[in-house]
Amino acid sequence: MTDEGKKISSPKGEVLVIAEQILGELQPVTLELLGAGRYLSDKLGSQLTCLVMGHNLAEITEKLVSYGADAVYVADHPDLTCYRTLTYRRVVVDLLDSLAIPPHICLLGSTTTGRDLAPRIAAHFETGLTADCTELDVGPYEHKSKVDPSKVGIYEECLYAIRPSFGESLKARILGPWKNPQMATTRPGQMTPLKPDSNRQAKIIPVQVSIKPEDNRLIVAETLREVGKGIKLQEADVIVAGGYGLGSADGFQLMNQLAACFPNSAVGSSRKVVDLGWIPYEHQVGQTGKTVRPKVYIACGISGAIQHRVGMSKSSLIIAINKDVDAPIFKFAHHGIVGDIFQIVPEMIRQLESVKSDKEVQTVVSTH
Amino acid sequence: MPAPYEIFVLVKQVPDQGSKAGLNPDGTIDRAKAKRMLNPFDRYALQAALHTKKCYGGRVTAISMGPPPAVEILMEALEHGVDRGVLLSDRRLAASDTLATAYALFKTVTWVGRFDLIFCGLQTTDGDTAQVGPQLAERLGLPQITYCQDFKVEDDKVHAERIIEGGYQKLISELPVLITVANSYHPLDYKSFRGAWRVQQLLRNQEEQKKYIQTVDLDLVGADPERCGLKGSPTIVAATEKVGEIGGNCSMHEGHSPTDLVSEVLDASKLKEFLTV
Ligand SMILES: Cc1cc2nc3c(=O)[nH]c(=O)nc-3n(C[C@H](O)[C@H](O)[C@H](O)COP(=O)(O)OP(=O)(O)OC[C@H]3O[C@@H](n4cnc5c(N)ncnc54)[C@H](O)[C@@H]3O)c2cc1C
Ligand SMILES: Cc1cc2nc3c(=O)[nH]c(=O)nc-3n(C[C@H](O)[C@H](O)[C@H](O)COP(=O)(O)OP(=O)(O)OC[C@H]3O[C@@H](n4cnc5c(N)ncnc54)[C@H](O)[C@@H]3O)c2cc1C
Repeated sequence: MTDEGKKISSPKGEVLVIAEQILGELQPVTLELLGAGRYLSDKLGSQLTCLVMGHNLAEITEKLVSYGADAVYVADHPDLTCYRTLTYRRVVVDLLDSLAIPPHICLLGSTTTGRDLAPRIAAHFETGLTADCTELDVGPYEHKSKVDPSKVGIYEECLYAIRPSFGESLKARILGPWKNPQMATTRPGQMTPLKPDSNRQAKIIPVQVSIKPEDNRLIVAETLREVGKGIKLQEADVIVAGGYGLGSADGFQLMNQLAACFPNSAVGSSRKVVDLGWIPYEHQVGQTGKTVRPKVYIACGISGAIQHRVGMSKSSLIIAINKDVDAPIFKFAHHGIVGDIFQIVPEMIRQLESVKSDKEVQTVVSTH
Repeated sequence: MPAPYEIFVLVKQVPDQGSKAGLNPDGTIDRAKAKRMLNPFDRYALQAALHTKKCYGGRVTAISMGPPPAVEILMEALEHGVDRGVLLSDRRLAASDTLATAYALFKTVTWVGRFDLIFCGLQTTDGDTAQVGPQLAERLGLPQITYCQDFKVEDDKVHAERIIEGGYQKLISELPVLITVANSYHPLDYKSFRGAWRVQQLLRNQEEQKKYIQTVDLDLVGADPERCGLKGSPTIVAATEKVGEIGGNCSMHEGHSPTDLVSEVLDASKLKEFLTV
């Protein structure tokens, strides 16, 4: 008698989203996770819960409710004001230990915080964790491989965690139905938040915070952070992005001029030039900046580091200008110009302007 | 005088994605055929480890888990000035996910001995999860500094700058600590003359090589085989689907005057059409 065809379903644990705030500002990825979590919990017929850690959390808690959580665990404590691996880890571990049954699914953002915390939780509970997902779903899975006979069976409510891999050239489906919580981090900008509804009701559950002395081996001396507001990078049709190759902050004048050739355009940048103070953070594209998907992305003097690439590789048309023929950006751009920005871009502006004035002349003529 | 530190650096051998060798039509990699290389992100971890030794004194041990050819990257680490290498190699490790990998590395690290700092790369170019470092830190019960872009050691404490969305965090951690080094940290220095010379000697003398690079298996480090490999892995890669190319599709424009280059690209890319949308 083998275990083949054995249907395995676990008791209905909740879908738990771990919220993220930086200096009291709720991060958008949390709302995205609540959107994805709502879909998963509705499909499973279970509760969507959310854990938030920090200090003075009343406003954030309200927001979590309006974005779809059925219950919010609130860990409010001065020692939790700012994210620290060991203190936050302690709260999550204690909370999960206190639940009668483990969550079915546990989700975090694939941010510098989520990717710091999630692996610690997964390792502590010896459960599976899929990194940096772009799609999530639940459904059945039949495990047939007999390498480990204890794993064989049909799992009815398995988390499908889908992630890009090998430099975004593959999509891999990672499964781990053998133990709950099934964990995943998801890439910011991928899931859709629900429409906020202030009529939503939820249970608010205060969480006991008991930090141990050894959790203070790691402290945060300072958080230096710029908040990106203002420009609507994500809505632009054409993005002209500048990097370290611009040589100085003045180089961005050229970026502005090129962007001005196009209707509905915006100026983007790499992180390096934001760090150097050449341009504000709100322009930054990439893993720790914005994810954009314009019709045209013109990268000027940007090498194409992986963290930049993940933020713009879905653009429909990528044109790269770089003087180094071996720059990684030429591996994924559609058109590459090997040359100096300060020769190429002014020439590009000149040619685009002349096309434009030709067109204007034509329209003037034809309206007569 | 600062204390001399025991410094560990974790390095992984990955398929070289720059070369098409071993690339299956479905986009997966045939690891037997693929060219191999040191995970590019681990070069920054190596630099951090060697820098720590240079500034504060101590010994650097490079540790890797992988099939026998992974000894190549330990040799490379020696060329850069690492003092010794340890390779955990065991067939029972095949198909380990990050949890099983972190467990096996945890057993290896504790077997090697006392340490003050462990450096890891940010992520790899194959599994690309960035999970092994923090999972190892959890097993070892250590504080961790991920996305670390810069650091110094003072009075047995690490002062580090950590990348976050829109800025930085300045952290202070007690030793021992595990640090994952960002690729915006300093690039790896050239091979050291002494290191390169030593490796030349080792290549000629197998016995001598064993003094510098030790290969160990699960039994030796006391790891439970049930917690390694497929059995010890809570996740599996159930399916992969090809969604794009790893490069190679960019049409390059070079060698002409700026005027010609630009008109060539404007025509080829149809960029002019976007002037009127
Ligand atoms: C955790 C983490 C998160 C990160 N998040 C982001 C992020 O969100 N976004 C991001 O962009 N980066 C991010 N980074 C940083 C990233 O790794 C790179 O360091 C950064 O993208 C490099 O910026 P750059 O391309 O402008 O500079 P460089 O890599 O220095 O490239 C400059 C390029 O300009 C070219 N060049 C120089 N002069 C000229 C000229 N006159 N004409 C033409 N070309 C020229 C050079 O050949 C070179 O290719 C992150 C890093 C880490 C570790
Ligand atoms: C397409 C694909 C997707 C995958 N997705 C997942 C997933 O979502 N979840 C999961 O649990 N597993 C996943 N895996 C399995 C995972 O790649 C392996 O477990 C691998 O052994 C370690 O993970 P990594 O390469 O992602 O390392 P990372 O966690 O990215 O590595 C970070 C650092 O840890 C150190 N390190 C990592 N591996 C070693 C090693 N063997 N020896 C020495 N140091 C090392 C290095 O310093 C490295 O820079 C996936 C594998 C594939 C092929």
